[in-house]
Amino acid sequence: MAEDQRTVSGCPVIGLEKELQKITEAIDRVGSGAPAHIAIVSEPMGGRTTIVTEIRRIYGERVHYLPLEFVISPSCLPDFSTIPEDIILIDNCRFLALRRMGGFEVLDAFLHAQISSKKLFITTWNAFAWQYLSAVMNLDAYFPTIVTLDKMDTPVLKQMILSRYKPGEIRFFDDGAAQRSMFFSLIHKKIRLPLMANEISLPWIKLNFTVMLRRLPRKKRIQISIEDVIFEKINRIARGNPGVAILLWESSLKENTMSLASIHETPYAIDLDTNETFILTIILSMKSLHEKDLDAIAGSEMDIQRVLYRLVQQGLARDDTGYYSIPPFALGPAIEYLKKTKRLW
Amino acid sequence: MADALLSNVTGELSNVTAALPNVTAELPLKTIDANLILYILFIVVIAYVLSWLLSFILMHVSERIGWYRTSITMIIPLLKLLIYLVALYYIVIALIEPSLTQMIAFSGLFGAAIGFGLKDLFADIVGGVVIIFEKPYQIGDMVTIGDKYGEVKDIGIRATRIQTPGDETVSVPNFTIFAQPVTSGNAGDLAMMIVIDLFIHPDSDAEKAMKILREALVTSKYVIISKKYPYTVLLDDFPFYKRIRAKGYVNDLRLEFEFKSEVTRRAWAEFKKEGIRPPSFVPPAGTSNGASEDVEA
Repeated sequence: MAEDQRTVSGCPVIGLEKELQKITEAIDRVGSGAPAHIAIVSEPMGGRTTIVTEIRRIYGERVHYLPLEFVISPSCLPDFSTIPEDIILIDNCRFLALRRMGGFEVLDAFLHAQISSKKLFITTWNAFAWQYLSAVMNLDAYFPTIVTLDKMDTPVLKQMILSRYKPGEIRFFDDGAAQRSMFFSLIHKKIRLPLMANEISLPWIKLNFTVMLRRLPRKKRIQISIEDVIFEKINRIARGNPGVAILLWESSLKENTMSLASIHETPYAIDLDTNETFILTIILSMKSLHEKDLDAIAGSEMDIQRVLYRLVQQGLARDDTGYYSIPPFALGPAIEYLKKTKRLW
Repeated sequence: MADALLSNVTGELSNVTAALPNVTAELPLKTIDANLILYILFIVVIAYVLSWLLSFILMHVSERIGWYRTSITMIIPLLKLLIYLVALYYIVIALIEPSLTQMIAFSGLFGAAIGFGLKDLFADIVGGVVIIFEKPYQIGDMVTIGDKYGEVKDIGIRATRIQTPGDETVSVPNFTIFAQPVTSGNAGDLAMMIVIDLFIHPDSDAEKAMKILREALVTSKYVIISKKYPYTVLLDDFPFYKRIRAKGYVNDLRLEFEFKSEVTRRAWAEFKKEGIRPPSFVPPAGTSNGASEDVEA
């Protein structure tokens, strides 16, 4: 047990140590009785792959790894009793069910196979697919150990990103964007008034808390380096999602130099009807879905081509040879919008 | 000191007693001239515009705020009441100087006015105040008052405006809440429970029909399911038909009928594929709104 903990603490899963420890403890607890199956749940790009890679590294030959790539049919479900390994690790379990009539048969069959098996199942789930299936099918009752990967805090994110480079390899360039800021900065906000069709620009006072902290009396002053300001901005735009934060970091890094001005935030003005929010919710909870599956979910009442065109046009979806997914930088705004309209429960 | 106060009070009282027989003659109404009328008119217009503007802005904000729509709209009636009370106060002090004598005279006149002709209006205003504080329903709720069903669009000082599914605006006097039961389908929430009844032939496979209806419900684009908003599918047996009843919450109460229609349509399409038949006996109308239509289809 102590040896396992050492392995965990020395592994490259920065920010996910606690979660990994919970999983390894659950695996080590497995005795002769009914195994306590494990579900790993996170938002898209929330760090599931990192955890899965680490589990495979730690447990090596004990693990049978089965990643699902697309929505599977009942006949594609393997016979788990013939698998020699004692841990079955199934990645992307969201593909076991589809939100349509008759779309839960595979999941039903899988859950039945899982509870009648003596092997330990470790499954990974998209958080939104998990929420839906838990509400509809009481999915959480099948998994005594549920590990949720939470949003990442800025210091952890900083540590995670900088661990990929040698010390001093990255230069943080202070372009004065933070220094120029005052306690209050006057900005011009675009506001749409109820009676007017066009947006108008209104002067607006913005409080700058970072600068306020710096200007505290010398004794109370908190030293904030340009690095911290940069990572704070990256994490704010990524909304705590480590995958999105890494992408943003990589797209803003120019010749190993990072400055505040090079981090760009894409603005989204989301305006969707019921059909569009529904299809966006489906794409979000499946991460990537083929057009024919979306067509089956939409049914005859909805013009799926028009809905997909609208989503792609607003930058909320992209088409990769028939597979639709949400671009990483649109994830945060899309999730916020769907939560506001209670499409995500 | 106490003696002095007492003698003052006694003095005032004797003045009042003396004034009472000839109250109207002594009412020191200010001279009513064009200026005063303009002033009163000005206050009324300001109050009206202000209350309209406030409710317009708040309604607009609430439409954009998504799930917490009804939290904003619930303060509209209260603000309106406040504006009208302030306006009334300004009008009264513009007309008369509020001393004890005038107040007694005014309340006497007021009482008589209520007794004669304005009692219904007054009852409606009291009803409006009760609605604001007791909140049997709020703006945005789906309610049944008497035999009228619809979304509450406005709670006024005198009447509540309801928009029916047929897009008629019905003004229900606020007094109605004292006399008739009021049913609110969602009680301030945006999600509302919807009951969907489907009737099948007694020889059809009820278990399969329940499974189909359950799937039609949970895969609907309008549904919301969580611990707070559970769903259920129930079976009931009648002599000439079986009733499958689904209960689930619609995401936004304005989509109530779309939700019912979508679930019913998809369930029946699947019923037909599985050989589940409608009953030969049509259940009496009123058992469920959608029932007879389903059977005819």
